[in-house]
Amino acid sequence: MKTNKILYRDAMNYSNIDAIKGIDLLTKEIVMGDDLAPVGYKIKPKCKFCNKFLPDSKNGSLGICKASKNDFMAYPDMIAVTCKDYEGTNI
Amino acid sequence: MDQLSQREINGEPGARAKRLRDIYYNTLSSADNEFPYWYSRKYFELDCEIPVVRRAAALKEAFSHLTPSVYPGELLVAQKTFNYRGSFPMPWLSEGYYMAKEDEFYKEALQRGGTSADEHSKFGSGGGNVTKSFGKVISLAGKFGVRQEEVPMMLKIARLWHGRSVDDLGHKYEQMVPDYEVKEKIMRSLVCMFDSGYTLPQGREVTNYYYPLQYGFDGLIKIAEEMKSKVAGRADGDGISGMNRLYNYEAVKLVIEGIQNWILNYSTELRRVEALEKDKKQKDEYKKNAEIMEWIAHHPPRTFHEALQMCWVIHVAVLNEDAISGLSPGRLGQVLYPYYEQDMASGRITKQEVLELLECMRVKFTCLDCFASMGVVGGVLSGNTFNNLSVGGLDKDGKPACNDLEVLILESGITCATPQPTLSLLYDEKLPEDFLLKAIECIKTGTGYPAFMNNNIAIKFLLDNYGPEGMTIDEARAWAIGGCLETSPCSWMLLTLNNKKYFIPGGSAQPTSVGVHFISLPKILELVLFNGVDQRTGERVFTDHGKKLQNYDELFSAFKDYFCKTVDVLALCNNIQHDVWRKNNMAVFHSLLKPDCLSSGHLINEMGYRYNATFNVETTGNINLVNSLVALKKIMYHDKKTSLKELREALKDNFGFKKAEEVKSYSLLDQEKYSNSDKWDELHFALSKAPKYGNADPEADEVLKEWEDWYTSVCHNYESLYGKPFYACQISVSTHGPMGAVTIATPDGRLSGTTFADASLSAYPGTDRNGPYALMTSATVWDHSKSQNSQLNIKIHPTAIKGTSGSKKLLDLTRAYMKKGGFHVQYNVVDSKILKDAQMHPENYRDLMIRVAGFTQYWVEIGKPIQDEVIARTEYEGV
Repeated sequence: MKTNKILYRDAMNYSNIDAIKGIDLLTKEIVMGDDLAPVGYKIKPKCKFCNKFLPDSKNGSLGICKASKNDFMAYPDMIAVTCKDYEGTNI
Repeated sequence: MDQLSQREINGEPGARAKRLRDIYYNTLSSADNEFPYWYSRKYFELDCEIPVVRRAAALKEAFSHLTPSVYPGELLVAQKTFNYRGSFPMPWLSEGYYMAKEDEFYKEALQRGGTSADEHSKFGSGGGNVTKSFGKVISLAGKFGVRQEEVPMMLKIARLWHGRSVDDLGHKYEQMVPDYEVKEKIMRSLVCMFDSGYTLPQGREVTNYYYPLQYGFDGLIKIAEEMKSKVAGRADGDGISGMNRLYNYEAVKLVIEGIQNWILNYSTELRRVEALEKDKKQKDEYKKNAEIMEWIAHHPPRTFHEALQMCWVIHVAVLNEDAISGLSPGRLGQVLYPYYEQDMASGRITKQEVLELLECMRVKFTCLDCFASMGVVGGVLSGNTFNNLSVGGLDKDGKPACNDLEVLILESGITCATPQPTLSLLYDEKLPEDFLLKAIECIKTGTGYPAFMNNNIAIKFLLDNYGPEGMTIDEARAWAIGGCLETSPCSWMLLTLNNKKYFIPGGSAQPTSVGVHFISLPKILELVLFNGVDQRTGERVFTDHGKKLQNYDELFSAFKDYFCKTVDVLALCNNIQHDVWRKNNMAVFHSLLKPDCLSSGHLINEMGYRYNATFNVETTGNINLVNSLVALKKIMYHDKKTSLKELREALKDNFGFKKAEEVKSYSLLDQEKYSNSDKWDELHFALSKAPKYGNADPEADEVLKEWEDWYTSVCHNYESLYGKPFYACQISVSTHGPMGAVTIATPDGRLSGTTFADASLSAYPGTDRNGPYALMTSATVWDHSKSQNSQLNIKIHPTAIKGTSGSKKLLDLTRAYMKKGGFHVQYNVVDSKILKDAQMHPENYRDLMIRVAGFTQYWVEIGKPIQDEVIARTEYEGV
């Protein structure tokens, strides 16, 4: 999916270096994670982009994974690249 | 400033390793939730499962979900987390130290706004340590940067483990030890630095890569499945733990499957980026890396590159399984030699390509971080992870074991100077001169490595302590250094590669990071002189010893009593912590790597390792204790220049000086007196001028010998949870900083709050006045094979060992020490003026490294108390 409003740290071709920056695998440049990614960069699977993530109505930084047994907690920013239950939303 | 003398040898890595190392220089130490999240999610899903299976299933889930990050230019892939220099908390071990600051931590995470991250995109003092929160990054434990988005979940996961962690459960049961309250007081007074059971329950040991190299991961799963069939429902004469073997093999299978998933996730990501990549060379490298990961996920490696990559993923997997500091690759050059030899013979690889791979390996090792509390990571470890690679030693038959690959390992230590892996040379007089001179060349770069360790002394120590568990002289020769300089048992493993057989060495023993760590000897002396009362806090730690201390023997006897009391209560409490660890948090992956777990069906917790007598009593401040005892013996008891009453007053009054914390200087250099405070000058002068260790002065050296003879012997009186005796371990790591900080002035003239002498046999800075040979004479008055180690650091000005003749002089000095019976020596080749300049202008010295105690660390990543101590060390201008 294409969008011009995603942060680098939410983009697929951003490889994390540390808590603030990463490498853009397409340009090989070191970029800041909170900067906007170039137009056309695809989103990286994260819980916040997953249909099975239910945000906590009181605390936006937490939620529930509906794919888990017993509705285990989850959080929006968690990367879900390796999650077999990930189901991307149509953002 | 006077002219700065640079180091004679300076290497440069190849362009690839340089790029990767440059990324490291600008990388923040970062922590995240991924591993703990998936581990906890599975663990709590499996309530009531057999503990070892439950743990293995949780580990499998965590490994399977780690996000693979790859970086252009890498020849070796995979790291602990999705960050380049990442780590994560393990709340199942301990959650208290960040839960304790929960409110502050959480509040900060919520309040952190959109401050520009650019403010920290250039680093000054502190290197990659996130010592303060900034932007959207929260500082945790004074070192780790955590994204604010991660913090609420990090705390929520921690809360899940509250009351269930090794720390919490251990604490519940250790309180049942008689005199437990003394242990609490010991910890509060910093007589002891930390509990080993839940902080770093493994480490300071040599890992073993053999089984995956020989059988591949598919082969190991096949073995586990076959063994399950053999042992299911059978006790085979062992009514206590025989039945456990079934669950253990099931756990082994599960954890290997998790690691295979982890490796294959990397190959998936590599294939993805390969498809996107436009640059042909990079595309080919991604492809090759993907192929290697796909192969080693299942099969034994066929080439040097595959074998090195496999060793690397094994190493990282062990570190992700548990909180470990000092996981040594051991004699990696001998482990990998079969692949190197065959690749070279067939023309599959060149020396230059091997060197490039080794340089990349150095960067990878340097990126390893260990997540623990500030006290442990900062106070003990100085942020170091102690992955010590050994070279040299003898082979199974007693011939020199060094090889061409080890020469390249030394060369990569020169061309790509990084703190990790640090290098140790297992010195034997049979080792060839050119190999030893290559090591000296490496030392002259100023990296502080390789350290020299004495093969004969180590073998004697090992046979004494592991002979009862069946160690033979042949097997003792397989030893290597674990952690800084812990002599660690290893075994020879028979590797077959293309029908050719090789004996390769690998670790076969439990961790040696375990037991009573670290005891501050000068602090115990302070308690003796003040009848059990800590002079910093005013708290009574021990009951009054009831002695009037009227003569030296009485004083020494009181010291021994307090020392024994300390070790006794700490050993009991730590045994309980480790017992909780082995019941709920046992190593599964690490266990299967070491003989003889796979064949016996018993993991580390059931003494499946070949050698289990690894618990030790670790001390710091050795030389300040010895110098203080000498001063008391001579000045107070023999010359009667002072009374005990007067001495106590002088110590409490810090001999009229300001405290170190006030002047912000932690060595005897640059200390300030209060004005008009000359009351103690004469006494301070007399104590300072009393005989000092390090000058071949028999009056001082006999006190060292008496102390060492007693200490190394008394440790055997204590028993580990595995029913084995303890032994002495004598390294300081960085504890001489914080432990010095809480100790008032000592009778050797050292001032309150200043750092102790480093190591166990380094002279106190400025007190060794007769040259290095005299220092070595003093150091060897006792039998070093009675202890797991001894440690001697020497600082040498670069000009003292310049040129070929300088190299030979340094080798002669080293040989002389080994011949006298010294176990360990290492050299800081540096001009102190550079260190002073680096302290004033850290921004100019991001890559400056220094040998601290048993490890090398970036200057900007170590604390000021240790920096001051290193600057103050005697600098030899001639050898």
